[in-house]
Amino acid sequence: MSSDVTDSMPERGVISSISGRILQELHSSVNYVSAAIVSGVNTVWTLVVCFLIFFMQPGFALLEAGQVRAKNVANVLMKNLMDWGMGVLVFFVLGLGIYGLAGQLTTSGLALDVGAAFSYINDPSAWIGSYLFSAVFAMTAATIVSGAVAERIKFKAYIFYSIGLTAFIYPVIAGFAWGGNGLLSSAGFLGQAIGVGFQDFAGATVVHMLGGIAGLVGAYMVGPRKGRYDAEGNSQPIPGHSITLAVLGTFILAFGWYGFNVGTQAAVLSVSEGTLAFNGAALGRVALNTTLGMGGGAVAAALVTGWSDGKPDPLFTASGLLAGLVAVTGAVPHVTWYGGLILGIIGGAQAPIVFRWVTDTLKVDDVAAVFPVHGSAGAIGTLLIPVFAVDGFSATQLLMQAVSIAVIAVWTIVTTMLVFKLADVTQHRRHRRLDDRHDDAGVQARRRHRRAPSRRGRRGHRARPQRTRVHGVPRVRGHRRRRRRHGHQRGQCYGYRRQWGERR
Amino acid sequence: MTESDIELVIAVIRPDKLSEAKQALAEVGAPSLTVSDVSGRGSQPAMTEQWRGEEYTVDLHQKVKIEIVVADIDAEEVAEALSDAAHTGEPGDGKIFVVPVSEAYQIRTGETGIDAV
Repeated sequence: MSSDVTDSMPERGVISSISGRILQELHSSVNYVSAAIVSGVNTVWTLVVCFLIFFMQPGFALLEAGQVRAKNVANVLMKNLMDWGMGVLVFFVLGLGIYGLAGQLTTSGLALDVGAAFSYINDPSAWIGSYLFSAVFAMTAATIVSGAVAERIKFKAYIFYSIGLTAFIYPVIAGFAWGGNGLLSSAGFLGQAIGVGFQDFAGATVVHMLGGIAGLVGAYMVGPRKGRYDAEGNSQPIPGHSITLAVLGTFILAFGWYGFNVGTQAAVLSVSEGTLAFNGAALGRVALNTTLGMGGGAVAAALVTGWSDGKPDPLFTASGLLAGLVAVTGAVPHVTWYGGLILGIIGGAQAPIVFRWVTDTLKVDDVAAVFPVHGSAGAIGTLLIPVFAVDGFSATQLLMQAVSIAVIAVWTIVTTMLVFKLADVTQHRRHRRLDDRHDDAGVQARRRHRRAPSRRGRRGHRARPQRTRVHGVPRVRGHRRRRRRHGHQRGQCYGYRRQWGERR
Repeated sequence: MTESDIELVIAVIRPDKLSEAKQALAEVGAPSLTVSDVSGRGSQPAMTEQWRGEEYTVDLHQKVKIEIVVADIDAEEVAEALSDAAHTGEPGDGKIFVVPVSEAYQIRTGETGIDAV
């Protein structure tokens, strides 16, 4: 830039050349100052949006706490606390590195470089833009799942899954889609095969659909809450204890979502032709589409439930608002304003319908309607981006969207099943105490002691009937893990029988 | 004093009739009372509520239980006053029971019997 200026300076004596040199220095210092301003403003903006996205965590916590029974609130909140508290540690030590590795491995021309992938750990300049900004998105994906499996999953099993998601399941997908390279980007294997990169601006698919599908798979694998379906398999609603908390959580979540969507437009200022440029138009489109999406979603869900149930359902309206947000999250910079509105309406309208389908047809007990709000809304919103694109419709882009959504869905289903299976092997997945004690009035007796093991032992662990007496001594029942815990060695099936609940 | 003249009036009424019941009790000369939130089932039909568009029934209704210990005035009078105050004519108005009390103590003064009430 500065060389152009001096080249165009006519060489007319000493004074001109001196002034040329002064101009050149002036120009380069202006450029330097501009670059510093740009990076300063953009970094501060990124920090602010990180704080906003972090504020989605209390939103999720309240939303989920309101939708469960009073006796399980502490358990749900504990899961939300650990999603964030432990998640940020796991994501720092492992997650972001795997994010980098996933990109390297699936992009042509990039070699595997573990050192580069983990270089952020000792690089202060990467701690805001790379680590913190990625971490808040990862924790959002992680905490979505707890709403689906609430009230019955065992705490330890959930923590195990949460680590799996923040260390592996999410980082791989984020590495595929974001960061300039990776399988689904225009430089990745799939992107090159189809010819365009996958469009998902702030993570309708990468974050939300991933969390929603993981939640659905998790809820399927832990099974419904006791009493959720009667003997004929008909759905019996288990009302949450506070619609106030749920709606308050929804609004807090929507507030943080401005950071999620608008903040993904991380460049507020840029340097163009040596001058500062403000990206107001880009920011404006993102902010408007986010707002129209949530409005459309809430109104659509209210209308759909008003039409189907006789009165608008507050919880579905809240879900619709969030589903509208999810639907536009991937699309906000790419689509027209009416495109954003229509996506929001579709997202909100499908939430009650998909919830009924999940509940009545799949018989999956999705407590906080995680799949309709995050899963299906994210997939539909991302798929339809090319239909409402500012640049016009592109069949190639539509194909890439569909293929990418399928890749992410399959990855999420397979890895989630794997991690939950592992959690089941290492510890019993389902939480009995949370689930089993309630009466018809919803007045719950809190049982603080451990429940005695079932006389039948744990399901599925025994292929053939066992001898109940060996040498006339009652056999110790139960799985070998539990026998070990109670002081028995392999093959030693008699002797002192430790009672349940006794300490060693 | 084994068979005292002290009686306990227990009334289970609609929560929104509580202030009228208190007013009536004050007028009849028995202002002291104990109030607790209770839920229960009687002749009032079960309610249907919705959660995420799915209906479920609530057959335990929220009520308020008032307990009044009376000594120097007629329990019947108190019960009638309460009955008038809490009446709407719809199922779910509640019930009133009168039970004899064998003894009463006032903790502050150590008085017993009618004086304690």
